Amino acid sequence: MLSKLGLVARLAVLRPRFAIGYLIVMVITLVAIFAPVIAPYSPTEADSLSFLQPPSAAHLFGTDNVGMDIFSRSIYAPRIDLTIALLGTLLSALIGGSLGAVVGFYSTGRGVRVWLSFAVMRADDVLKAFPVFVFAIALVASLGQSIQTVVLAIAFVNAPIYLRLMRSQVLSIRSMRYVEASQVNGLSDMQTIVRHIIPNAMAPVLAQLSVNIGWGILLTAALSFVGAGVRAPTPEWGSMIAMGFQNVVTGQWWPSMFPGTMLAITVFGFSLVGASIEELVDPAKRRHLLSELRQRRGSTAGAPVELT
Amino acid sequence: MADRFSRIQLAPTRRQFLKTTTAVGATAVLALAGRKSGALAQDADSTLVIAAPATPQGLDIEFDVSLGSIDSLGALYEYMLGYEKIADPDAPGVLREDTGVHTDKPNNLALRGRLAEKWEMTPDGRKATFKLREGVVSNWGNKFSAKDVKWTWDRKFNLKGQGLFQTAVLGLKSPDQVKIEGDHVISFNLDQPNPLLLKQQCNLANPIYDGTKCAEVGGSDDPWAVNFLKNDSAGFGPYRIAQLVRGQQAVFEARDDYWDEKPHMKRVIMREVPQSASRFSLLQGGAVDIAQFLQPRELEALKKQPNAAVDAVNSSYMIWLELNAKIAPFDNVDVRRAVNLAIPRDEIIRTIYYGYADEQKAPMPYIYPMADQSFFNYAYDIAKAKELLAKAGASNLSTSLSYNAGDPTQEPIALLIQTSLKQIGIELTLEKLPAGVFYENVTKRAKPMIFYLDSPWTPDPGYSTYLYFNSESYVNYSNYDNKNVDQMIKDGLATLDDAVRKQKYTEVQKILMDEAPWGFIAYPQYTLARKANLKGYTYYTSNNLRFQDFSRG
Repeated sequence: MLSKLGLVARLAVLRPRFAIGYLIVMVITLVAIFAPVIAPYSPTEADSLSFLQPPSAAHLFGTDNVGMDIFSRSIYAPRIDLTIALLGTLLSALIGGSLGAVVGFYSTGRGVRVWLSFAVMRADDVLKAFPVFVFAIALVASLGQSIQTVVLAIAFVNAPIYLRLMRSQVLSIRSMRYVEASQVNGLSDMQTIVRHIIPNAMAPVLAQLSVNIGWGILLTAALSFVGAGVRAPTPEWGSMIAMGFQNVVTGQWWPSMFPGTMLAITVFGFSLVGASIEELVDPAKRRHLLSELRQRRGSTAGAPVELT
Repeated sequence: MADRFSRIQLAPTRRQFLKTTTAVGATAVLALAGRKSGALAQDADSTLVIAAPATPQGLDIEFDVSLGSIDSLGALYEYMLGYEKIADPDAPGVLREDTGVHTDKPNNLALRGRLAEKWEMTPDGRKATFKLREGVVSNWGNKFSAKDVKWTWDRKFNLKGQGLFQTAVLGLKSPDQVKIEGDHVISFNLDQPNPLLLKQQCNLANPIYDGTKCAEVGGSDDPWAVNFLKNDSAGFGPYRIAQLVRGQQAVFEARDDYWDEKPHMKRVIMREVPQSASRFSLLQGGAVDIAQFLQPRELEALKKQPNAAVDAVNSSYMIWLELNAKIAPFDNVDVRRAVNLAIPRDEIIRTIYYGYADEQKAPMPYIYPMADQSFFNYAYDIAKAKELLAKAGASNLSTSLSYNAGDPTQEPIALLIQTSLKQIGIELTLEKLPAGVFYENVTKRAKPMIFYLDSPWTPDPGYSTYLYFNSESYVNYSNYDNKNVDQMIKDGLATLDDAVRKQKYTEVQKILMDEAPWGFIAYPQYTLARKANLKGYTYYTSNNLRFQDFSRG
């Protein structure tokens, strides 16, 4: 345990940006969990007696147009933003990844299944041809404005990424000896895909997840900014920015500045975490990282360094 | 002296030549520059630049009543009659229409002739004859005559757009009821007297078209010139349209052959600037003369600027909640009353409007004749609202409030109302609808509670109540249905006796305020943010600008 902690510490020193990323994600997650304990005011109730108050001891981030406390709303917001982004991204990975595995497995050869794979890939091309944001707005407009719809929108716009990622992995794995061996042993195609192909093709998908969570937060905020996201007065960074940005020209910068800053920091954090996972799961980059760690440790340390 | 002169004349040196030509050249350049800068200054003085939320989507009032369109209408077209102008008692330097009841004036109205020079009504109120002005030409050079007025009203009957409402409210059933009595005489012949007959001649929705031009461009394919009038104008107003690029700008040019006083502003440029913050910045920086529809806090900020000014006048605008009488829980009158008691009007006016509004206490604009605010019994009272809900047997209600994403005031108002209704046990879900979808939902009457901001353009209680509360009216979006009210509204529109009308409409207002088909919110003021040196603003009950009113001081 101690040696693992030491390893993490050494990695943090070697790549401080990764440490910052994990720290940001951890803090934001904790803030979201303990928001009801930390928030001094209700995040959804208007108080017209204290509207557009600048930051002060009573209201750390000030208040908005209808007197809602921006600090309370800002720390409640990741509950919504993170949940939507996390669910949307996991759903997209599930849909895209599964479909990608099947399509990759049946991409060669003959028969109906090959044609179906081809059809799925062409449908994927069509889906990718739409501008992501316009597609998401269209989805929300047709399905109605709700948290579930935003989750679905994120899942749909991200699914093609995972489909292609998983397909390309499966294409190289399906000709491996262990796959052939599993089929010789009598496993069905689906059993082979589930037991042997997907687990071995997951690494790049996992690396992509973190990046997409950050992107999902941004998309949620963008949808709310244009009025297609969550309903008011649900605390959400995008809708808070939308409600406050017009005030900037008249000098009230705080209603949009604080949620905007928190949004930027969170997305930055997830992107750093994504970069770290990418480095850890890529064999070449991992080797390079290991050699750097060894050099740092020098010849005094005897034990070999392992990253598992 | 003579020698020197002759030497210069006969044999100038190179230096002398250069000096002479430079001096002549410089003089000429300075003279030209002086003339040009003078011309530029004059151009700037007579050019009005407006930052508007939208350019006109169309120029035909029959099909388009968007903001940019109604601002264009009063410049491109002329009307049969207009109201006399008076100084606004509350806004220094602003004029407004005199829409009051004047027992000392013909037909009790303060009207002035525009395209109609003289007019008279028969004592039974069923016929009005107009003697039309001679020597008026359109922006296409065609002479104005009674045929143009006839063509205009025939068009309403044939196109069945918003003009159909105009014919219906006057009680006109056939185009034959508008008769040409001479080259410059026309009459309106009604089956029963109608107090709106003269008032409707001033209504922004009733411009007079150049029938000759319209017939010429439309031909047999488009006899009512629908395609032409969408993008161009054929009227007798002080301006012609020089350019219309939707989404960018519209340019208007003053006509030299306009029959009345020539406008000071020779050129008007209406630029589309969708964000109010951007319009605010443009006016603050002096790039535009007028920034339309700014947010109240932006108006407050502008008041501190020495080069800008804000005019705020009591207007015909009303903002209310349509409480749909055919959808639960608002099919219960006590629930509607309870909601009215829980609307925090004072907070809304202070927080959202920064004082640029008054509490709505009547079912029609409070500036209109015969409006009566004494029946308002909905001062903010949470305890009383709870009692009413208990009496109605309605507890733990949940419903939705739909609002327009395109109107930045509606979301914060909705939030205040949501917080307030929570206190009386009504859980509100807020539904933000894009502008296009919002109006579709209003007209479909499918939402239990939805915002509406509107104004009846004709300053008359009959017109206003007929529009919003007659069970057969298209605009009765709250599905209110009271046959007794219907009858009284119709009775009031069938008599010219203002005493009788007042009695009828007082009773109508009393019932409406009691039965609360609306969640009464506020009367927002019409506000104009402008450069400090711009003067002449006049308020019209149709809440639009007329460029010809402006000059510089």
